[in-house]
Amino acid sequence: MRSPPVEPAARSVVADFERDRRLFLRRRRWETLVGTLIFSGLLLVSFQHSQFFSSDIGGDPLGRIADFLGRMSPRLSPAALFSDRATQGSLASWLYDLPLWLKLGWQTVEMAILGTVVGVIGGLAASFLCARNLMPIPAVRFVVRRGLEMIRTVPEIILALILVAAFGVGPLAGIIALAISTTGSLGKLFSEINEQVDPRQLEAMDASGAGLVGKIRYGVVPQVLPNYASYALIRLEGNLAGAAALGIVGAGGIGIELQRAISYTEFDTYLAILVLMVGLIFVIDIVSEAIRHRLMRLGAAR
Amino acid sequence: MNSRAYERALATAPHILRPNWPRRLGVVAAVGLVLAALAAMVVDLQLAPEAIVAGVGKLGRFAHAAFPPSDGGQWRRILHALGETFAMAFAGTVLAAVAAAPLGLIGAKTVVGQPVVHFLFRRALDWCRGVPSLVWALILVSAFGLGPFGGVIALALADIPSLAKLFSEAIENSDERPMEGVRSAGVSPLMALRYGLAPQAAPVIASQCLFFLESNFRNAAVLGIVGAGGIGFELQERIRVFAFDEAAFIIILYMVCVAVLDTVSQRLRARLA
Repeated sequence: MRSPPVEPAARSVVADFERDRRLFLRRRRWETLVGTLIFSGLLLVSFQHSQFFSSDIGGDPLGRIADFLGRMSPRLSPAALFSDRATQGSLASWLYDLPLWLKLGWQTVEMAILGTVVGVIGGLAASFLCARNLMPIPAVRFVVRRGLEMIRTVPEIILALILVAAFGVGPLAGIIALAISTTGSLGKLFSEINEQVDPRQLEAMDASGAGLVGKIRYGVVPQVLPNYASYALIRLEGNLAGAAALGIVGAGGIGIELQRAISYTEFDTYLAILVLMVGLIFVIDIVSEAIRHRLMRLGAAR
Repeated sequence: MNSRAYERALATAPHILRPNWPRRLGVVAAVGLVLAALAAMVVDLQLAPEAIVAGVGKLGRFAHAAFPPSDGGQWRRILHALGETFAMAFAGTVLAAVAAAPLGLIGAKTVVGQPVVHFLFRRALDWCRGVPSLVWALILVSAFGLGPFGGVIALALADIPSLAKLFSEAIENSDERPMEGVRSAGVSPLMALRYGLAPQAAPVIASQCLFFLESNFRNAAVLGIVGAGGIGFELQERIRVFAFDEAAFIIILYMVCVAVLDTVSQRLRARLA
């Protein structure tokens, strides 16, 4: 039995399809090949450049990591676990400076809170200046937006480095660094919230003869407050981790003790402070999450 | 007319129109309490206004000294340091992604159906997420010696928990039906992951890795401060000797690099999506 004759037009459609498909597959294969080559090249150069397998550090990276983990773990012995500070292997000898660490930990929390509060105020001011529906002058919007972008590019540790040189060692430099970088990120997020304000509610208030203050209080604030607060609290969580690191460059808080533990090569002490820090971050996370969920419910109820 | 409507409303629902004094007092008290707490923190940290004024004056002098920015005749060294910073970021991101992939699989509800394991695992990741890479770098540089190696490990350690969490979310969000289809064809579990899951999850995961590369370039710039090499080390040296014109040059160059990297990575991510 003969196959039915194929119309020349149909044949050319099939041929076109086959050709396009071949081309497509070939292009994709090329793209994959080039992508893989670029990726492995970058990876090779990166590992080379970062001395990953360099002999200066003795080679054998995995062995060194294991050795390091051994040095970091506390030397606790079950028998002496609850004896006093002088006994080797007790919890108290591992956490020998706990009161100081707790005090510095609290200082870190205070730094994070104050830095966040100042940053929220700065972010609010900036957000009104660069929201499309609130700031009619495009030039101001442009300048403020670019300024915020620039702030976000500079890591807060580098800000802190400069600020410590200006304000001296202590929490003040850290708070200002946190406040500046918080302004940079919250200014952008807040302005996006401002731009999403529903104009109909404001129109309704206009129609009922409300003044500007009334409009902001009853028309804008209820719409934006839960979102503002939620972003500010997320930022507070981040700032706590940031504040803990700032002490390393002398900007106050628990980081200074991390630096000290390292300069005395007390790796097990380092781990103790690290555990304390993680605990602090954990507590703040839980509190802030609870507040955020309440605010979200309030926002939904309105 | 207006006043009659008001009177009628007052008669039916007086509590809505009358000011709610207990509630107002409560709000005022709460605001006062918060302000008092903030003031107490300011006192506790011994933040003095004169210190702020003096510091701002010094900052002004720094800004004056920073203009015009100068490369100090060391642009080759600075470019090399920038390259080192990028190398740290790239190597750290790749290591973190490789380590986070199996963790992400374990953390995904759809792959490991053990609620207790899942919960504990997620919580553990949450706890570790708070430790910044600088804190890891400080101890790693001390353990492994000065140089970028410690920085790479620090970046990887700081990223693994967040990446593992994002990976497991990407895996959970993917459609399960292709997996079932591949499984029903009788292939091994590994093959089911490769052909049922990877085609869906890989673009999401790749785009997250690019995002982390961007943020790691910023983090890597900081690690030099504790001795992990790269641009942070050069910058810290300049600031320490108050060579603010050279510091400004480095910061501007660095900002340009961040902008370039962000643009490239955004393009790539847009193509993946």
